[in-house]
Amino acid sequence: MRTFRLKSPVYVKSGFTIVGPKEGDGNFGDCFDIVLRDDLWCEKSYEKCESKLHRDSISGAIKKAGLKREDIDILLGGDLLNELSSTSLAARNFPCAFLGLYNACSTFGEAMLVGSMLIDGGFAKNVTCSTSSHYSSAERQYRFPLELGNQRQPTAQWTVTGAGCTVLSSEIPPKHNCRVYEDDIISIDEGMNIDSKTLEKYKKSVEKQKQVINLDKSNIIEDNFSRLNNDYLCPNTHYAVVTGGTIGRVIDLGIDDEANMGSCMAPAAADTILTHFEESGMDPSDYDGIFTGDLGRFGKQNLEYLLSKEGVTLPNYYMDGGASYFTPEQKSFQGGSGAGCINTVFNSYILKRLQKGELKRILVVPTGALLNKDTPLQKETIPGIAHAFTVESRKFD
Amino acid sequence: MIERQEYQDYVSKNAPKSPMVRTLIAAFVVGGIICCIGEGVGDVIKLIFKDMSEKDAAIWESCVMIFLGSFFTALGLYDKLGHYAGGGSIIPITGFANSVVSPAMEYNREGVFFGICAKMFVIAGPIIVFGVTVSFLIGFISYFVV
Repeated sequence: MRTFRLKSPVYVKSGFTIVGPKEGDGNFGDCFDIVLRDDLWCEKSYEKCESKLHRDSISGAIKKAGLKREDIDILLGGDLLNELSSTSLAARNFPCAFLGLYNACSTFGEAMLVGSMLIDGGFAKNVTCSTSSHYSSAERQYRFPLELGNQRQPTAQWTVTGAGCTVLSSEIPPKHNCRVYEDDIISIDEGMNIDSKTLEKYKKSVEKQKQVINLDKSNIIEDNFSRLNNDYLCPNTHYAVVTGGTIGRVIDLGIDDEANMGSCMAPAAADTILTHFEESGMDPSDYDGIFTGDLGRFGKQNLEYLLSKEGVTLPNYYMDGGASYFTPEQKSFQGGSGAGCINTVFNSYILKRLQKGELKRILVVPTGALLNKDTPLQKETIPGIAHAFTVESRKFD
Repeated sequence: MIERQEYQDYVSKNAPKSPMVRTLIAAFVVGGIICCIGEGVGDVIKLIFKDMSEKDAAIWESCVMIFLGSFFTALGLYDKLGHYAGGGSIIPITGFANSVVSPAMEYNREGVFFGICAKMFVIAGPIIVFGVTVSFLIGFISYFVV
């Protein structure tokens, strides 16, 4: 039995996202909390920038939930870099227990499952689930240098530059999201575990960093608090509750093309979705939203083909986070991918719709392709994995 | 679940393919233009240094083209050309310069020794190894044959 139902409700307290410029121009552009103008964010390397995105998305989510760093019991997080470097370096700034997770692009699903189980089991009160990815650091680790003039394959996907964090809690969230300002995100606070020399440098760079935030698109700028898509304008009518999930199996149908990850992940997504429907006794009509992680346009087509073979037709509200992420003019071929992809979609677009009551019960299926740079060279095929979790929207009394 | 072979066949049959005609024409035109620029550079060199031999002029021409390839890589323009032209901009000597300079730029954050110097030939390494090996073999054979 891989499907479970939580005994007590696990509340989604808040979600916070930071994305890069290209993502800000994409389809979910007006939903993100911070959109950057520059994907280096005044750091010296893309890896450092990713770690900063990760750290600041966690601080933002904690602040938005009305909590303090000390209130968080466990940080759950992961990213795509070797040895989870950006997550670990981000976690040193928090006085909390930390569990690093890795399931490639489905790490967010894993974090949500583990987090909700920890809360349901009574082992923690507040948990953060965060992931991050950065186009330039992923490109460098898995593919080629940025300036190399090679062509991308038409099945390739574009790693999303972004980080997001969800705060799960055993307590019901407040009706109003606590306001988050730019000062809360990039300011220095006491708990930061850095030496005095770095602190001096950091203080100098804060003003510079503020200029890199895209004022028109970000939802944490004071002037934008009255905007319709902003979380802070009116109180939420609904709150989101994680109710259960299905833990995925590693599925390998023998695809060995690392430029075609959607096809590697689609069988795993199909397996998880079928198992979920079978074991929970639900069918697609019980949901009003099914979101897969980052299959891309072709992977989405593969998933629909695989499910149709088993006699399951996905309804037309089915959406793939990666395939819908960028507009066709942005030339990302199959769409977005990466650990930050479904995470930033869930914490911005999906969560806002849940909190407005537009979605009642959804199934989120983050998917991941399990490979490193060497396994395809050693003639290994690429297995996929997908986890599923269900989120319900309930009305405030 | 579906059979492995059936799924692999479905994927390879339905995967989106590169538009052959467009990419070939782009590669042909851009590659041709780069070669024309090379010829032009050679002609200018011969015009300026009138008593230079044909062989020396060709060497200087290659040097200028390598410089241009590296320069436009450093400006961040060569990869944009590469996305459009594909093989047309990879195969000329400017593409070779690009494949050496781009990792050097990418890894300069890891320091001079273990960054730039160690990683510079990550992509161009095989070309250099095969180039040296083949020229050694041909030299060896020609020593006995000619």
